[in-house]
Amino acid sequence: MVAADQHSDHASQSQPTPDDPTESLWVQAYIPAIVKGLANTLRRIVFSDRFTIEYDGTGDKSDPKKHYQTREGYRGEHYLKRDERGEVKCVACFMCAAACPAVCIHIEAEDAPDDWPDRDKRPKRFEIDLLRCIYCGYCEEACPVDAIALSKTYNIIATTREQKVYDMRKLLELGDREAKGKSIGPAEGDRRGPRPTMRG
Amino acid sequence: MSWVDYIFVYAIPLIAVLMVPMNLPVGLIYLERRICAFIQDRAGPNRVDFPLIGRAGGLLPGGLLQPMADAIKLLTKEDITPARADKVLFNLAPLFSLVPPFVAFAVIPFSRPYAYTDTAGAVHPVAMQAANPEIGMLFILAVLSLSAYGIAFGGWASNSRYSLLGSLRASAQMISYEVGMGLALLSVFMMTGALNLQDIVTYQAEHGWYVLTLPGALAFLMFMICAFAENNRLPFDMSECESELVGGFHTEYSAMKFGMFFQGEYIAMTAMSAIMVALFFGGWHIWGMEPNPATGWAASSLWVVLFSIAVFFGKLLVFIWLYIQVRWTLPRFRYDQLMDLGWKGVIPISIGILVFQAIWLAWKEGNF
Repeated sequence: MVAADQHSDHASQSQPTPDDPTESLWVQAYIPAIVKGLANTLRRIVFSDRFTIEYDGTGDKSDPKKHYQTREGYRGEHYLKRDERGEVKCVACFMCAAACPAVCIHIEAEDAPDDWPDRDKRPKRFEIDLLRCIYCGYCEEACPVDAIALSKTYNIIATTREQKVYDMRKLLELGDREAKGKSIGPAEGDRRGPRPTMRG
Repeated sequence: MSWVDYIFVYAIPLIAVLMVPMNLPVGLIYLERRICAFIQDRAGPNRVDFPLIGRAGGLLPGGLLQPMADAIKLLTKEDITPARADKVLFNLAPLFSLVPPFVAFAVIPFSRPYAYTDTAGAVHPVAMQAANPEIGMLFILAVLSLSAYGIAFGGWASNSRYSLLGSLRASAQMISYEVGMGLALLSVFMMTGALNLQDIVTYQAEHGWYVLTLPGALAFLMFMICAFAENNRLPFDMSECESELVGGFHTEYSAMKFGMFFQGEYIAMTAMSAIMVALFFGGWHIWGMEPNPATGWAASSLWVVLFSIAVFFGKLLVFIWLYIQVRWTLPRFRYDQLMDLGWKGVIPISIGILVFQAIWLAWKEGNF
């Protein structure tokens, strides 16, 4: 509706402009222009939709009226995936740490147990400092085993600096949540998310 | 008069009038923020609800207590005085901004007079009006001019370039537009032959609202432009100019001193709206509310008087709404455009209205 209005404003070239010295005094005194502007704002007050979405920490995150739906390709909070055994998928190859331009991934490797035939190493410690992270997504691209990924979660809240350093337990927890589909995906066919019409 | 009569004749009107500038800005701040939000397709403040009842099950809009939260924030914030500021003037300036609009409310007639018979049998006309001096409107003009000092002192005492520039512009603007405002008002005085606001309203109740005549409509337009400029509201908010001067004259003010400037602006806005209602839109009068021809204006029942208060506030709210909506509709004038409009537009037109009015009145009375 907004876009349509603006478009029609530009399209009508024939409307009088107050700067035109050939126009009548009435037009040059900006009176029709001011009245038109006031009518427009009044229409906004009475009829307009709300463009913003209320932040609601408690509401249903899949409800587009209560939670902003990020678009395709959005890079948010990181998570680690699990393999078929339910163990961490990461093979501690340090590719992500090497690719990271912000140097925010800290990994300590240890030898994998002998009954894990697919790899030699696994991470003993895997930490991401989200305060340093620039959310470039290079770690996700660098990973050879598709173990790390960035979710669509954008409201990453912490009350201390320590809480912003995610350890392996936290990252796997987020991965489990992601696997259950609790994270927020993009809205279907709408880059910005649908516009709610409610008021309150 | 017994003490009960003193309460009815003096105390109740006084308290009732005082409640208006005390309480209206609270609601206005909420209204302004919500209207602005709706115009900009936002929600606005909608989180601070009443304790216990909340939104009363959706009957109330959200965020009604937001002004309270604002006030608590302003009162508890750190109050900073710049190191090289002039301490006395710096502390005085917010008072100059807050007190004059308050005082102006004293003479505004919010209702028609009610004939109150005291215990001794004497009749007193009682209206929702703190004082009713014969020089009513002159008093308002004199008092409201004082608020220019608040802006001038605030800018000067802050020892900041932004503040000084803002206050310089605003002072020049207020002084310029006061000329046009006075000239626009002269035609009202000429028409009604009174400065007393109750008399001006009564005249309009008997002869029709002044804005419905041609000179009245033009004079109202001129007065409204000047009123916006006097209150430093958009499109004339030269004193603030957020885009150029940070915050203008109150850049250096924090906490409740800023709050006092803020409140002063809203009270002045309400006062100006009330003046416009009283001078041009018939004050408390509405069609169908004619006096009893046998007894005149004074003898009317208490219900009619209360209804007249409601009428006045209804009209007041229309103008306040207009103030707010104009702020979020029109862009700011450039400084030279502002001065052009004031000196080359408003003042000549006001003088023209005055001359036209004088000739018309003389012709009507057959003095040509």
